[in-house]
Amino acid sequence: MKKSLLSAAIALTLSANYAVADNHGGLMFEPGKDTRFHWASYEALKSSNLKGQTVSVFGPWMGSEKEHFENVIKYFEEATGAKVEYAGSDSFEQQIVIDAQAGSAPNIAIFPQPGLAADLASKGFLAPLDSNVEAAIKSDYAAGQSWVDLATFDNQNGQKDLYGVFYRADLKSLVWYSPDNFEDAGYALPQSMEELKALTQEIVADGGTPWCIGLGSGAATGWPATDWVEDMMLRLYPASVYDQWVANDLKFNDPKVVAAIEEFGWFSRNDAYVDGGSAAVAATDFRDSPKGLFASPPKCYMHRQASFIPAFFPDGVEVGLDADFFYFPSYESKDLGNPVLGAGTLATITNDSKGARAFIDFLRSPIAHELWMAQTGFLSAHAQVNPDLYVTETARKQGEILRYATTFRFDGSDLMPGKIGAGSFWTGMVDYSGGKSAQEVGDSIQKTWDALK
Amino acid sequence: MGQLASALVTMILGVLACAAYFYGSNALLDWLFPGKNRPAEQIARNLRIANRIRPWLFVGPAVLVLTFYLFYPVIDSFILSFHGRTGEEFVGLSNYQWLLGSDEFYESFRNNMLWLIVVPTAATFFGLVIASMTDRIWWGNIAKSLIFMPMAISFIGASVIWKFIYDYRSGDDPQIGLLNALVVFFGGEPQAWITIPFWNNFFLMVILVWIQTGFAMVILSAALRGIPDETIEAAVLDGANGVQIFFKIMVPQIWGTIAVVWTTITILVLKVFDIVLAMTNGQWGTQVLANQMFDWMFRGGGDFGRGAVIAIVIMVLVVPIMVWNIKRANAEMEGR
Amino acid sequence: MVTSKKGSALTLVMHASVLFLVILWTIPTAGLFISSIRDKDQLSVSGWWTALSTSEQRLVERALDPTHQQFEEGRWVIKGNLMGNSDGEVVRFGVSSLQPEAHAVGEVVDRKGKQIQVFANGDYTISSDEEMSGRRGDRIFFTAEIPPRFTLDNYREVLSSEGLGQSFINSLTVTIPATIIPILIAAFAAYALAWMKFPGRALLIAGVVGLLVVPLQMSLIPLLKTYNLVGEFFGVGSKTYVGIWLAHTGFGLPLAVYLLRNYIAGLPGEIIESARVDGASDFDIFRKIILPLSFPALASFAIFQFLWVWNDLLVAMVFLGNNEEHLVLTGRLRELLGSRGGNWEILTASAFITIIVPLCVFFGLQRYLVRGLLAGSVK
Repeated sequence: MKKSLLSAAIALTLSANYAVADNHGGLMFEPGKDTRFHWASYEALKSSNLKGQTVSVFGPWMGSEKEHFENVIKYFEEATGAKVEYAGSDSFEQQIVIDAQAGSAPNIAIFPQPGLAADLASKGFLAPLDSNVEAAIKSDYAAGQSWVDLATFDNQNGQKDLYGVFYRADLKSLVWYSPDNFEDAGYALPQSMEELKALTQEIVADGGTPWCIGLGSGAATGWPATDWVEDMMLRLYPASVYDQWVANDLKFNDPKVVAAIEEFGWFSRNDAYVDGGSAAVAATDFRDSPKGLFASPPKCYMHRQASFIPAFFPDGVEVGLDADFFYFPSYESKDLGNPVLGAGTLATITNDSKGARAFIDFLRSPIAHELWMAQTGFLSAHAQVNPDLYVTETARKQGEILRYATTFRFDGSDLMPGKIGAGSFWTGMVDYSGGKSAQEVGDSIQKTWDALK
Repeated sequence: MGQLASALVTMILGVLACAAYFYGSNALLDWLFPGKNRPAEQIARNLRIANRIRPWLFVGPAVLVLTFYLFYPVIDSFILSFHGRTGEEFVGLSNYQWLLGSDEFYESFRNNMLWLIVVPTAATFFGLVIASMTDRIWWGNIAKSLIFMPMAISFIGASVIWKFIYDYRSGDDPQIGLLNALVVFFGGEPQAWITIPFWNNFFLMVILVWIQTGFAMVILSAALRGIPDETIEAAVLDGANGVQIFFKIMVPQIWGTIAVVWTTITILVLKVFDIVLAMTNGQWGTQVLANQMFDWMFRGGGDFGRGAVIAIVIMVLVVPIMVWNIKRANAEMEGR
Repeated sequence: MVTSKKGSALTLVMHASVLFLVILWTIPTAGLFISSIRDKDQLSVSGWWTALSTSEQRLVERALDPTHQQFEEGRWVIKGNLMGNSDGEVVRFGVSSLQPEAHAVGEVVDRKGKQIQVFANGDYTISSDEEMSGRRGDRIFFTAEIPPRFTLDNYREVLSSEGLGQSFINSLTVTIPATIIPILIAAFAAYALAWMKFPGRALLIAGVVGLLVVPLQMSLIPLLKTYNLVGEFFGVGSKTYVGIWLAHTGFGLPLAVYLLRNYIAGLPGEIIESARVDGASDFDIFRKIILPLSFPALASFAIFQFLWVWNDLLVAMVFLGNNEEHLVLTGRLRELLGSRGGNWEILTASAFITIIVPLCVFFGLQRYLVRGLLAGSVK
C-alpha cells in the first residue's frame, strides 16, 4: 500500500533532461548506441521468440512511473515479439487479492510489499521461479543473498522457494533539508543521532521549528511513522534484533520496541519540535508535509522521508540545489555502524507462462534497470548496472548508499503480515501520535498479531 | 467512436432481449393455454393453469438474478465463516470466538450503532421537514433541487468536499477549511476535526446525512403530494394550525413511506464504507463493520473466514428491521 | 396544495428556514467549485470565501544565477523579475529565510558583498563590485499583494491527462444498460409481488427484503469465480460489459423491487380489479395500467440507479478491471487522487468533474420526475 500510494511519483522534479522518445521504433534509447548501457542483455533477449504471446503485468505504478515502466517494456516487446499489457492501480494490494482468489490473476504481479506476496504464496497463488534464477540473483545483486531471502516464501505445503526478483528499490533512511535555510541559520549537517537531537534543540532555541512530519496518506494513514520506528530499531539495536522483531520473535510490546517507538516520540510528540505541534502530525498529509521546507519563512528545517519524496516537492524545487538530503544518522554511542533502511518492489509470476518467465528474466537483467535509471526515479540494487546512468547526482549518491550498505534492512512493515504491517502498525502509530502511550500501542499491536496465529 | 457505436448496439440488444423475454413468454403462455374461443370448461382450466404459471414469468428473471448475485454469496459467506483464511480448511467456531475477543470489533460495533441511530433519523427528519416546507413556497422546486444535489455526488467526491471543509492548518496559518475558519472567527482554537476521538464519528456521519437527506426529501415529498387535498382542507376547516396538520394529519398519512425511507437509509448505512475508507480508513476510532470486513477480506492477503464472520454480523444486525418490514408487508397484503 | 394563510410571519419563517437549509446544503459544493477555479497558489493559502479579495502571500523565488550577470557602469549586475507574468505588488522583501520581511521595497540590502534591491512591481537588481560566481542564484523572500485570480488551468490540467474521454464513454456504456435492465426486471417482479396471487409470494417478498442488506463486498469473490468459469466456457474473458451490467442489476434489484412493489401495491386496487373483470390479462394490465401509473416511481428509481452506477468504484474495479480500455471515470479520477493527493487544485477540479454528469442527469430528468410525480398524484 505504501508504495502504491507513493507510486504517484510524478517524478520529473528529479530533473528531466532525457530525450523524449523519438523514432527508434518507439524505443527511447537506440539499442547499441549509448555504450553506457548493457546492450548485451538486450541482444540476449532476442533468442527467445514469443511472437503472438501476451504477457499481462499488474503493478502499483501509475502516472509518470507507469510511462517510465512502459518505456522499459517496449524493449522486451521489440526483442521477443511478445505483447506486454501493463496495468497500474492505486489499490493494487486489494485488487491482486481479488484477482488471485478469483483465478483471473495477471501473468506478472509486481508487489510493493513482499509480505503480501508471501501471503499469496502461502495460498499457492504464486509460481516458484527456476532454480537458476536464485544463483543469478545471488551473484548479480549487491548483497544478493539478502534479496534472495526476502523473496523466498513457504507455499501452501510449507515448501520454501524463490518467488520473485526485486526490480526498483527505495532508500528510506534519508533526511531532506534546504541547504540555503541551513546556511542562513548557520546549521551544520549532523553526523550522529546525538548531533541531530542537539540540532533539533538548537533550532527550537533559535525560535524555529525543526521538523515537518506528516502521517496522512488516505487509507494508509500512519505508514510514515512505521519507517521512523524501523529506523530507530536499527539505530538502537543490532540488526539481529530488528530481524527478530520483524518475525515477531521479539514481541511488539517488548521494552526494546517500546523504547524505539518512544525514540520516535522524542521527535514527534514534542509540540515545539514539529510544525503545527504534535496534534498536526497525524492530520498532515505526507505529500503536503515536505512543502514546509520550502515555505517562506520555512515552517521546518528537516523532513525524514524516503528517496521518492522529491516527487512531492513544490513545482520548481530542484533537488541538489534547493533541496538535498543527508543520511539519517546513527548513534555515535552505540557503535552499530551505519544501518540503511530500504524497500523495493518484487516481481512475481501469478499466472505461469513461457512469456512470464522470459519477462522475469528480463527484469533481472541489467538493461531493464538501466533503462529506467536513465529516465529518472529509479534506484537499483543490481550490482552490474552502470551507475553513470543515474541522471542526477542525488540519485547516484543514493544508489551508492544502497549498493555499498553494510547493514541493509528491508522495510519491516512491508515484511510483517499484512494485517500488522499494513494495518494495526499504522493504526497504532496514529494512536501514538494522538496521545496513547507507546506501551499501550505495543500491547494492542501484539494482541492483533497473536490473534493472527 | 467505434466503441460508442458497439456499446450502443449492445445496449439496445440487451434491453430488447429483456423486453422480448417478457413479451414473448406471455404471448407463448396465451397461445398454449388460450382463454378465448374454447369451450367454457376448457377456458376455465386454461385460465387456472395460466394464472398459476404467469406470476413465475413475471418474477422469474428477478428471482434468478437475485439468487445468483445475492443469495448464493450469502450462503457462501455463511459457509466461509466456518473456514480458515484461505476458505478451505474447516475451523469450526474459531472465527466467531476471535470476533468476540477482538477490541476492534467492539469499537466498530459501537460506531455502527451510532451510525444506525443518527444517520437515518437525521436524514429522514430533515427530509421530511424540508419536503413539507418546500411544498408550500413558490421556489420550493429550486430549493429541492439544491438539497437533492449532494445525492448525485459519489462518496469519493463527497469525501473530497468534506475533507476540504474539515481541513486543518496548524498554528497561525490562515485556515482554508470552512469549519476551522468559522471557529477561529468566533475566537476558538482550530481543531483537526477528524482526529478527535468519538466526536469524529459524527463528523463523518454529517457527510452521509448531507447526501441522504435529498433522497428522503424526494420520496417523502412525493408521498406528501399523494395526500388527498380534502383531508387537509377538512383539517383546516376544523381550525387546525400548520404544525398540527403536519404532525396529526400528514405524518400519519405517509407513515408507510417514512418507514420505507428510514429502512432504506438504515440499510445503506450498514453497508457504507466508502466514506470511512476515504476519510479515515477506520483510524482514530472510527472503524465501522463494513470497512472492517473489507479490511479482512482484501487487505494484506485477505482472511476470508474472518471477513465472512463480520458480514454475517452485519446481516444479523438487520434481521429486526427485516422482520418488521416483512411483517408490515404481510399485514398490508392481508388487509387487501 | 393548500397553503395555510395563517399570518405572513409563519410564511416568512418558513422562507427563512428553507433558505438557511438550502445554503447549508449547497455551501460545501459551492466551496468546491469556487476552489476549483482559483489559482492554485492562492487556493492553498487562503479560504475560498476570500476568493474575491486581494490576498497577501509570502513567497520565495530564486534570482537568476551568476551566468546572467552583465557588466554595467563599472559593476556586475543581475536583473530580473520575481512575479513572473502574474500581476500583484511586492510590499516587503528579505534575503534570509530568518527574516523574510525585513526590508521595504526600494531598500538596498547588503548580502555577502552584493547589493540587492527589490521594487514594487517585482523587479530586482543584484549588483556587485566584483564578478559574481557560483552555480546558484540568491534566494529572495518577498511578501506580495496578489489580486484575486480565477483560472481554468486546474481543469485543463485534469482534462489533459490522457484517457479521460475514453473513461467517459466507458462509464456511459456501463451505466445506461445497468440502469434500464434492472428497472424492467424489477417492475415485472414488483407487479407480480404486489397484485398476483401465487404460492410462495410472501416468501419471495421476505427474500427480497432480506437480500437488501447483503453487503456487496461479500459477493465479489464467489461471483468472480463463477464469472471465470462462464468466461472460460464461452471462451471470453471474465471481465465484460455484460458481466458488469448483470452485476449492477443484481445489486440494484432488491431495492428496485422493494421500492417499486411498495409503490405499485399502493395503487388503487379498483382499477386493477375492474380491468381483470373486463378480461384483461395480467400482462395487459401491467403494460397498459401499471407502467404508466408507476412512471414517477420508475423515473425516481432510474435516477437513483443511474447515480449509484455512475458513482460506483468497487464493482467496476472488480468486474471490469482497471486496464486502459475499461477504466471508468471514477477509477480514472481515483488514480488522479492517488497520485496528486496533496494538491487541492487537482482534487477540487477532478471532484467537480466527477459530479458534473450526475448533476446534469439529475437536473435534466428532474422535469420528468416532477411531471411524473404530478401525474401520479392526480390519478
